[in-house]
Amino acid sequence: MKKRLAALLVLALSVTTIMAGCGSKNQSSEGSTAASTGSTVTNEEKKEGDTFTVGFDAEYPPFGYKNDSGEYVGFDLDLAQEVCDRNGWELVKQPVDWDSKDMELESGTIDCIWNGFTMTGREDQYTWSEPYLDNSQIFLVSAESDIKTFEDLAGKVVYVQADSAALSALNDNEELKSSFGELTEIGDYNSAVMNLEAGAADAVAIDSAIATGYTKDGKVVALEKAISQEQYAIGFKLGNEKLRDQVQKTIDEMAADGTVLEIANKYAEDGIPDALLIGK
Amino acid sequence: MDILSIVTQLGSGMLVSIEIFVCTLVFSLPLGLVISFARMSKIKPLQWLAKVYISVMRGTPLMLQLMVVYFGPYYLFGVRISTAYRMIAVMIGFAINYAAYFAEIYRGGIESMPVGQYEAAKLLGYSRVQTFFHIIFPQVVKRILPSVTNEVITLVKDTSLAFVLAVAEMFTIAKQMAASQTTMVPFVAAAVFYYVFNLIVAVGMEKLESKLNYYR
Amino acid sequence: MSLLEVKNLKKSFDGLEVLKDISLTVEQGEVLAIIGPSGSGKSTLLRCCTNLETAEAGEIHYDGEFGLVFQNFNLFPHFSVLKNITDAPLRVQKRKKDEVFTEARELLRKMGLSDKADAYPYQLSGGQQQRVSIARALAMNPQVLFFDEPTSALDPELTGEILKVIKDLAAEHMTMVIVTHEMNFAKNVADHIIFMDKGVIAEQGTPEQVFGSENERMREFLGRLSN
Repeated sequence: MKKRLAALLVLALSVTTIMAGCGSKNQSSEGSTAASTGSTVTNEEKKEGDTFTVGFDAEYPPFGYKNDSGEYVGFDLDLAQEVCDRNGWELVKQPVDWDSKDMELESGTIDCIWNGFTMTGREDQYTWSEPYLDNSQIFLVSAESDIKTFEDLAGKVVYVQADSAALSALNDNEELKSSFGELTEIGDYNSAVMNLEAGAADAVAIDSAIATGYTKDGKVVALEKAISQEQYAIGFKLGNEKLRDQVQKTIDEMAADGTVLEIANKYAEDGIPDALLIGK
Repeated sequence: MDILSIVTQLGSGMLVSIEIFVCTLVFSLPLGLVISFARMSKIKPLQWLAKVYISVMRGTPLMLQLMVVYFGPYYLFGVRISTAYRMIAVMIGFAINYAAYFAEIYRGGIESMPVGQYEAAKLLGYSRVQTFFHIIFPQVVKRILPSVTNEVITLVKDTSLAFVLAVAEMFTIAKQMAASQTTMVPFVAAAVFYYVFNLIVAVGMEKLESKLNYYR
Repeated sequence: MSLLEVKNLKKSFDGLEVLKDISLTVEQGEVLAIIGPSGSGKSTLLRCCTNLETAEAGEIHYDGEFGLVFQNFNLFPHFSVLKNITDAPLRVQKRKKDEVFTEARELLRKMGLSDKADAYPYQLSGGQQQRVSIARALAMNPQVLFFDEPTSALDPELTGEILKVIKDLAAEHMTMVIVTHEMNFAKNVADHIIFMDKGVIAEQGTPEQVFGSENERMREFLGRLSN
């Protein structure tokens, strides 16, 4: 009993320290992932019958979300399903808490992050597939708002998802960022938009591909000018090139035979086909 | 998305919430008793360890503890964890956290027992184990029931913290539905679900309390 | 052979000597009353004899089992009257159920509590609770029964019923050691009286000897009581 308690205590204290370290790295949105603390380097091919676990944020339509019947669907998950079907893998769709995605990948509970995952700015932190989708970072404002340009945002309250591409785009544009009255980081986009609709936020910095879902009913609108242009790709654990190559090869085949476009057309309403970088 | 499909999906999430709830109680109630023994032990180092354990468990957020339990094996020992460990980690995290609270409740109850009960039992020849489980503990249960009820009701609401490990319990599902539908309805429905869950728990605990009211 | 033999018992709390070299014997069928002012060590002596306190020096020898009736009863509140009486014989002594229950009902009848078998302690008066606790002690068939001021937690009008029970037990030749401050009762029921003062046995003997004693402290104690 005594020994077990002691072990538990040591575990609790040391992991708290380690995670505190990770957390601060994540917030600065640059620098390495926590890979240095892990001891295993994963780099292995998958065989037929293996499982292929995709980590995704289930609150991120149209890439990964819950549909009306409660299943996890989305453009990226559909692509992943096709890749698995062609390789004889079993797809496991694993929703993750976005703030913990790096720890999930490091510790091996997921094989990749495939979920409208922005490569730009994170090139050195993961082993990446080729980018497959163009995305830009934009602002959403209330339809009644008189904010029309970046200049109008001066002194306003802007919300952004923590550790998101939009946040890193803002970090690259110090002049714009410092003009805000306040920049609030929040756990997920849905909460950010809820804050916008409720009036707590004046604007939300967000991926254009996500924004389409929110502008449908006309309550919120997008500013015309984009903060930055970025690209989506599939992120694997750093060094896991063999698995990346397997997936990339299948994606290339799917692009060549028109399957990628076919899947994208299912999400035409969200503007996916226009944003495609491959298989057009 | 119609109400029926919201209710169906939340219902499946509620089953997971109930699973977390039940397992937490099944493991933390006995574990709490063991920790309270350590806390009241005459062996100083054991007493001290229990004190630190309780202090850490009560002094740090449950959310953080869940992450430590889940990711700890990999980041500390390099043991690759599987996604099946997710639910187990939630159970362990909740059980060790709630055990700390229960340990203090038990301790309060046990220390409030008059010494005469122990002396009477000793004179009648009961062993220490018999004395505790047969004479003392049943009376302690009656004394601590109101505090336990408080914790149990908090636990119902705390199950929603499992979302940090992306376990598909009710709140996680409500958040996901709200995101895909850009509507607040799933949150309202979830609130109703939690309330009803707690109402059932509260009524159950009240029944138990009145059942123990046959003596004073 | 004596049922109880205490030799050179010593006990102190935090350096304060409470029992200074106490020796006594109790014979089969004897009723011993221990009297004395509060703080004289009489309760501590009883607690040492019943193993609730550990003496620092001295020896205690028993021939057989003993029971204790507490000042404030210490019944188990979550057990019915009948279970309070039968539980230890069944669970600890592992005796036969029929035998234990028959005996318990007989004890309750003797205590005048036949109709209270299924009641819970909180439903009884203090005197009734004390009678249950005497029955509980007797159900273990002890060789010696100790009483620690059995009437001092009771209202004055209830002490009589307890003293009567003890008198009846004495008539049946039950061996008893009674710490009490009921002087008349001690005089009437005891075969032997020990007067304790400041941790020592200041006077002892038959009731006539003790109450007729010229011992200064004894006279002073009795004088204080009659005032």
